[in-house]
Amino acid sequence: MLRFLLAAGAVVAAHGASPGDETAKQFEAKLDSDQRILQALDRLTFGARPGDMDEIRKIGVEKWIDQQLHPERIAENPVLDAKLKPLESTRMDSAAILKQYYQQNRAGIIRVGVNLNTLLPGDQSRKVFNGTIEERRATIMALDPETRIKVLATIPPNLVECIPELQKEAVEARKKEMETRQAELRKQRPQLRDLLDGQQALIVRMGTPAERAALFASLDPEKLKQVAAALPPDALAGRADLRRMAAASRNPQQLPIADLREAKLYRAIYSNRQLEEVLTDFWFNHFNVFEGKGADRIVLTSYERDAIRPHVLGKFQDLLLAVAHHPAMLYYLDNWESMATGSFEVGPFAPQPPGVMGFVGGRGGPFARLPHGLNENYGRELMELHTMGVNGGYTQQDVIAVARCFTGWTIKTPAEKPEFVFAPFMHDNDEKTVLGHKIAAGGGEHDGLEVIDILAHHPSTARFISAKLARYFVADDPPPELVERLARTFTKTDGDLRAVLTALFTSREFFSQGAWQSKVRTPLQMVAASVRALDADVTDSFMLVQKVSEMGEPLYGKEAPTGYKDNAATWLSTASVMARMEFASAVVNGKTPGVNVDWSRFEHKDPTAIASVLLHRSLPKEGLDAIQAGLNGGEDTPARIAAVILSSPEFQRR
Amino acid sequence: MLTRRIFLRGSAIAMAGAGSVPFWLGRAAAAAGGRRKTLVAIFQRGAADGLNVVVPFSEKRYYELRPTLGIPAPGSNNGPQPAIDLDGKFALNPVLQPFKALWDKQMLAIVEATGSPDPSRSHFDAQDYMESGTPGMKRDGWLNRALPLVAGGSPLRAVAMSANLPRTLQGDCPAIAINDVKQFQTSQDNAAIIEHMYAASPDKQLASAGKDAFSAMRMIQSLSRTQYNPAGGAQYGQAGELGRALQQVAQLIKADAGVEAAFAEIGGWDHHQNEPVAMNNVLRQFGAAISAFCRDMGDGMEDIVLVTMSEFGRTAAENGNNGTDHGHGDLMFVLGGPVRGGKVYGKWPGLDHEQLYEGRDLAVTTDFRQVLSELVSGHLGTRDMSQVFPGFQPAAPLGLLKTEASL
Repeated sequence: MLRFLLAAGAVVAAHGASPGDETAKQFEAKLDSDQRILQALDRLTFGARPGDMDEIRKIGVEKWIDQQLHPERIAENPVLDAKLKPLESTRMDSAAILKQYYQQNRAGIIRVGVNLNTLLPGDQSRKVFNGTIEERRATIMALDPETRIKVLATIPPNLVECIPELQKEAVEARKKEMETRQAELRKQRPQLRDLLDGQQALIVRMGTPAERAALFASLDPEKLKQVAAALPPDALAGRADLRRMAAASRNPQQLPIADLREAKLYRAIYSNRQLEEVLTDFWFNHFNVFEGKGADRIVLTSYERDAIRPHVLGKFQDLLLAVAHHPAMLYYLDNWESMATGSFEVGPFAPQPPGVMGFVGGRGGPFARLPHGLNENYGRELMELHTMGVNGGYTQQDVIAVARCFTGWTIKTPAEKPEFVFAPFMHDNDEKTVLGHKIAAGGGEHDGLEVIDILAHHPSTARFISAKLARYFVADDPPPELVERLARTFTKTDGDLRAVLTALFTSREFFSQGAWQSKVRTPLQMVAASVRALDADVTDSFMLVQKVSEMGEPLYGKEAPTGYKDNAATWLSTASVMARMEFASAVVNGKTPGVNVDWSRFEHKDPTAIASVLLHRSLPKEGLDAIQAGLNGGEDTPARIAAVILSSPEFQRR
Repeated sequence: MLTRRIFLRGSAIAMAGAGSVPFWLGRAAAAAGGRRKTLVAIFQRGAADGLNVVVPFSEKRYYELRPTLGIPAPGSNNGPQPAIDLDGKFALNPVLQPFKALWDKQMLAIVEATGSPDPSRSHFDAQDYMESGTPGMKRDGWLNRALPLVAGGSPLRAVAMSANLPRTLQGDCPAIAINDVKQFQTSQDNAAIIEHMYAASPDKQLASAGKDAFSAMRMIQSLSRTQYNPAGGAQYGQAGELGRALQQVAQLIKADAGVEAAFAEIGGWDHHQNEPVAMNNVLRQFGAAISAFCRDMGDGMEDIVLVTMSEFGRTAAENGNNGTDHGHGDLMFVLGGPVRGGKVYGKWPGLDHEQLYEGRDLAVTTDFRQVLSELVSGHLGTRDMSQVFPGFQPAAPLGLLKTEASL
């Protein structure tokens, strides 16, 4: 029997390895010691800087990884703190952001200035809007001339359609009103042509950064502020101070998101707690919220800072709960307005009547909502995207049940201080069954907590999260055995993310040929890695934010709750390849104001040396040959060579 | 006149002379089982005043609502130029003279009273909803979803002639924004080196991506280098930015670059004041660009459908500043060889006070998705509309396209 089995085994072996076996073998093949260091840097940071490899050689890669797994023990880079200082909204809570950027600046909004309620009190208003034509005419004619003009300028034109003598006056009045409004606008928001002479305007629009800087320096502060406010943000790249000034006066509501984006670049480039930043990016994307969905913009700062970052190395359940509680997620996936079918809203959360203009436009302010029934959006995405995965084994019934459990999880005082509150009168108090678990009636807020508990401990969650982490940190197609092992660690440690990552970073698959240089850098990773490799000094990350967006990854700008996909194909479109080349060229040619490279470091270095500095490994022979052939005795400045290397296929990998 | 097939061979040879022929050129030609179809979407940003683009001159109310702005009916000869009669009920703004020939050739169809069920009068929201094809929700673009995902398709399958990729073309299918061909002019020498590095790289995935990217880049660069001579005496020069954009679309289509979906936009329609002057300017460019494109493409129009849209229309009545304010219903032009033109489609709701939406705007009687879905399924051949316009229940077909005849 044994001989037969052995023979059969030999036959199988003799047929040779299948493609799957080849890949599997790659994940068993070890890396040499320098490769291990670079692998750790490539995956746990936003790119190796000069000197990083040496530093890790000294203490050993295991020790370094352990340090990164305990960011609280790492002193933060004072340079980072300095860069973040002006971005004050990043330190504010949502209430302060609302107050500072949404309410404070009423002065910036041009007041129309006509309040019909005071001009046409009580019955007069009724007669004008709802009365007969005669009543309307009589009422308006009876007004004193000044009031009449104001009223005629403001009421809808069709109201005086049939009253010829008033119609003519109304046309005049509207014209005058428009002119007054425009004059006021011009005064509050002067155009460039009002502020600068022809020569100056030309410099501002078409001059070199140096010429523009000189012009700005020559203006007095008040004038400079107005000029800045009249320019688009692009024209102020490199001048973060002016740009913030302009935004504060022109469109302050854009500042919190602008600050968040610029801060993200600064953190990626300068933070010493690199793994923490990498994980914050990962988990934000996993629990994606879109800045463009109405009021999410107000609460996103707090979301990333208070719900995501503190938990990236903690327990998954804590992270899940923090996200579930946060107004950003409650609003984004609509749970805040989900309520038990047949219930109604009373008291402080009653929706505003339609037609009430809030200061952010739209009905009733930033969180205005109408009575709804059950909204399944969060219930579904909580299982499909956040925990179990689409094949995790839940049904449509489960989706409905989960949604019912979360009814009442809503936002309180949204227009002043958005925060979580449980609203009992929105809650579906009946019994539910979620994934086979019976949830007793009358559970109130506890229903949602129980669901979180169930999901956090579900085996599909362990597998789904482990697979996602393996895909992010090892390879687009991670070995199933690794995923299984990580899932077991997840379950055994009750979802301890630090423990799972420790298992990941010490696995043989992590330090294998299969994982080596297997991931394609996302736009954020490519931009940050380029800046770190060049050891550039960034005084304004605005342009970098633009470039990341141009490459297809607008920060905080993914609409779908799925977040950005994590595989090579996503980032290898024609547009992406070209945008990366364009970025590399712009950076080395000084076309990214605010990013300064010290080229003296690269002096006297040949392409091989420069490649080695930027890539921390050697380019394949084919690449070097291509460079040599292309240069062929032509101009070979370090900047040019750097641009080529940053555009190379090798640099797009990590 | 060159038939299209001969022209294609010629263009391939011309490209071989200029450098290597894109390796997917053959792929692109082979992929189209029959002839490749192209759908061109043109967005008029700013809420175009449909009522003054196609004038419902037989409606007395039109002139009552617009005593100053109303365009004189065909045949009137006192004052400004009269509208150009189309069918006794509707007439073209005289500035759109070039469209008359297309109408007579039955290549031009008009769908009246189109729009979105969403009541938003915000430009940005309404544009986003229309470009997403999902009123009330912002997501990726309908035109991107209209293209089935295929492996190894032309990298120029979906092109937008604008600085950034518009929402209409955002999505899973790779699409590329070509604003200015200069943006594809990296330092020539660097580009050559980098291309070589991609081609020679042992990294197969990146080598393949690089190959596609560089040949697409070269194709686009050749647009600016070679002196392009539009056929049929077509004049793009008078047609501003839209003219330039459509010329480049024509070039790409003629070079058989594999374009299936193209997008162009033209802003400047938000006529709150001084409408006659402002409208004439932008409408002239609009008409000149589109008619130049049709003339230039010639026989090629058999495989092309052009559709225009705007986020919403404008108030039926003029305001006090010789302009109009944000409205609701608007119109869409549909042009091309496959179009059953020479006809106004859609149910005209009328301009009486009770017939107006909220008493002020032209009502919407045809959902814009009805028009688009007919074109996507009938022209591009995409079957599953539920993926392209999720949540949309199509009504009875308008019949915009001629029945497919044998090729």
